[in-house]
Amino acid sequence: MFDWLLWFTHMENSKPLALLLFFGAFCGILIYVFTGKRRARRLESYKYIPFDDEEPRRPELHGFARDNPRARIATQSRKVMDNE
Amino acid sequence: MAQSSALPAEQYNYDIVRKFTIMAMVWAVIGMSVGVYIASELAWPFLNFDIPALTFGRLRPVHTTLVIFGFGGSALFATSYYVVQRTCQARLAFPWLAEFTFWGWTGGVALGALTYVSGITQGREYAEFEWPLDIAITLVWVCYFLVYVETIRRRSQPHIYVANWFYLAFILAVALLHIFNNLAVPFSLTQSYSLFSGVQDAMTQWWYGHNAVGFFLTAAFLGMMYYFVPKQAGRPVYSYRLSIIHFWALIFLYMWAGGHHLHWTSLPDWVSTLAATFSVILLMPSWGGMINGIMTLSGAWDKLRSDPIMLFLITSLSFYGMSTFEGPLMSLKSVNALSHYTDWTIGHVHSGALGWVALVSFGSFYHLFPRLYDAKLHSQTLIYVHFWLATIGIVLYITSMWVAGIGQGLMLRSFDDYGNLAYTFIETVEFMHTPYVWRALGGAFFVAGVLVMAYNLVMTVRASRREQAALEAKLAAKLAKA
Amino acid sequence: MRHEQIETNSGLMLLLILVVISIGGLVEIVPLFYINETVEQVEGVRPYTPLEQRGRDIYVREGCYLCHSQQIRPFRDEWQRYGHYSLAAESQYDHPFQWGSKRTGPDLARLGGKYSNQWHVQHLKAPRSVVPQSIMPNYPWLLETDLDYSDVAERMRALRATGVPYSVTQQEYDANVKKFGQAVADQLDINQARDSLLRQAREKDFDGIPGRITEMEALVAYLQVLGTMVDFTRYDEGFFTTFR
Repeated sequence: MFDWLLWFTHMENSKPLALLLFFGAFCGILIYVFTGKRRARRLESYKYIPFDDEEPRRPELHGFARDNPRARIATQSRKVMDNE
Repeated sequence: MAQSSALPAEQYNYDIVRKFTIMAMVWAVIGMSVGVYIASELAWPFLNFDIPALTFGRLRPVHTTLVIFGFGGSALFATSYYVVQRTCQARLAFPWLAEFTFWGWTGGVALGALTYVSGITQGREYAEFEWPLDIAITLVWVCYFLVYVETIRRRSQPHIYVANWFYLAFILAVALLHIFNNLAVPFSLTQSYSLFSGVQDAMTQWWYGHNAVGFFLTAAFLGMMYYFVPKQAGRPVYSYRLSIIHFWALIFLYMWAGGHHLHWTSLPDWVSTLAATFSVILLMPSWGGMINGIMTLSGAWDKLRSDPIMLFLITSLSFYGMSTFEGPLMSLKSVNALSHYTDWTIGHVHSGALGWVALVSFGSFYHLFPRLYDAKLHSQTLIYVHFWLATIGIVLYITSMWVAGIGQGLMLRSFDDYGNLAYTFIETVEFMHTPYVWRALGGAFFVAGVLVMAYNLVMTVRASRREQAALEAKLAAKLAKA
Repeated sequence: MRHEQIETNSGLMLLLILVVISIGGLVEIVPLFYINETVEQVEGVRPYTPLEQRGRDIYVREGCYLCHSQQIRPFRDEWQRYGHYSLAAESQYDHPFQWGSKRTGPDLARLGGKYSNQWHVQHLKAPRSVVPQSIMPNYPWLLETDLDYSDVAERMRALRATGVPYSVTQQEYDANVKKFGQAVADQLDINQARDSLLRQAREKDFDGIPGRITEMEALVAYLQVLGTMVDFTRYDEGFFTTFR
């Protein structure tokens, strides 16, 4: 009944199987990450996190997030999305 | 959101970050000076002075431990505690536990150095701590884990930022490696024998050793990079999606690569072949990180001209790219046959440790200090001076080690017309003298740079103190008048 | 599953990281303990005698492994310079292994028997008096310090706990007699640890100072046994390759 499990114990079977699984997983992640325009926008919006932490009292330290209106929209829209 | 109007100094626990930063600088000065000293011992052996504690064999673990765990470790504690608070917008959890990690870690590293010079060692490279210290370190590490994870759990930012993934992977992996590599049977308070022997022991040790590089000196410092490069550049990281890919790929692949330290040894061929394969694939996620960091500056390359801190950070990434190319190359069996056992390996480690680890830490510290002490850096010029001293030092170091390593490797394998060995071993030792002198000089340059940095930071802190005092005096005068 | 689920959930992230970093070690290390061919089946390899083991402890203490390897690779130049390539079996009782990673000095895996005891003593005391270009530190204190062998039984017991066949019971002793012969089995017997250490030191007098047992005595005893246990003339040329 469980004889088919023995198939996995042979190195010549399990090695290509492992390769297939790992490589498949890698391709899957690659496809997931780099396809889909909306997903791309969503994922990229998280990169502004380090700029959310500056206190408002020292504007000279603000840099990108303050200067770039796109960044602000991105961070704000992300917050909305998390509550979907 | 936690966009409170409180000053960050009040909102966040900066005290612990300051402590670790200062200790990192102290360890850098001591550890790297010991490095220059032992490098000089190899060039001029009289420097061993027939004193047991000063011999190369006992001082070398002092150098590696103080630099990797003292300087590198403290830099990681400092920056991780800073980054996790800032990116989670939460105050550090369990402040007393964090305090304990500071005293525990600092005391552990100091005691370790003292035990090595007294001849107490496990005899495992980069894991020389004897068992009581191993247990103490494990305890500190568990506390570190608790503080770090609990701070993340208290975050007011819904997402965990990339930098923290790397720090998390580093904390977990180092725990795993440390515990399994240090399994031993003690027979006295200061001595033990490793649980494994021979080939299994070797593989466990280099699984540990290579991932000490992979997680302690790479993944964690990538975490540092993912926060400080964007902050200093004032621009977000180049590609968030690339960071997802290269994070998971990097932590998966690194753990397979340790066997390449044991090519052509009694380790079965299947393990070292597998390790070499994974080492070559590892080039891709490594360069993913480098590209992500460097390209963060795309469109703002002029910052390299105007901002010396940026110069440190980007140069460190370039060295990271270079040494992660050299690494896979050296893991090829044919190249390794030449490079293994020679100074090429030592040069490779230092292009990573000085070029990548130290430079990215220095850049981050220059970014940190004004914020930790609410003061302007004492001198921009001195940052440039430091940068050039460091860069010249690294270049001298790695080129002299290429000469010594490749030279020795080629000499050892050359034959004369009759098929006899062309050189005796001692002739290669003689040959290495000149590169050894240059290497010591390169190290001295690097230490000089660190001293310049230490001076700059001390002056910054003193200015900040003076300003604070003046402010308080003004306030007191006002109060007295009223 | 979206990546957001991982990066907004610290528990899930920790779990996934743990899984991902565990695979490499599991695949590469665990089988080494189970695949029988990992360590060759050869005769002659025995645990160190108490004196040799004490010498090995000193070797570890002084950090010799940082400049000397104990692992010969299967290359023509190493064959000529050092001898037959190292076998896994030859370090099967080495806790910890001392294969090393750097040859600032030459490999020591087959040092045993190459030089006389007097040469070693002189070389360790003042390397440049024997090899003028050497950059090795002097180790004069090895000759000045008496060997502490008070805890030698303790040490052997710890090694026995890791699996080294030092004997405590009669049964273990008999097994050692069968495997290594009576003379060796006596030296591997923890009950006779001190006596056999003293006997070996007295008979061989490695440090050249009769009546004293210095640290030099133990270290030279260890250096002189390195790589000498396997008699390679007894095996065909292709025999060891079947294990690789």
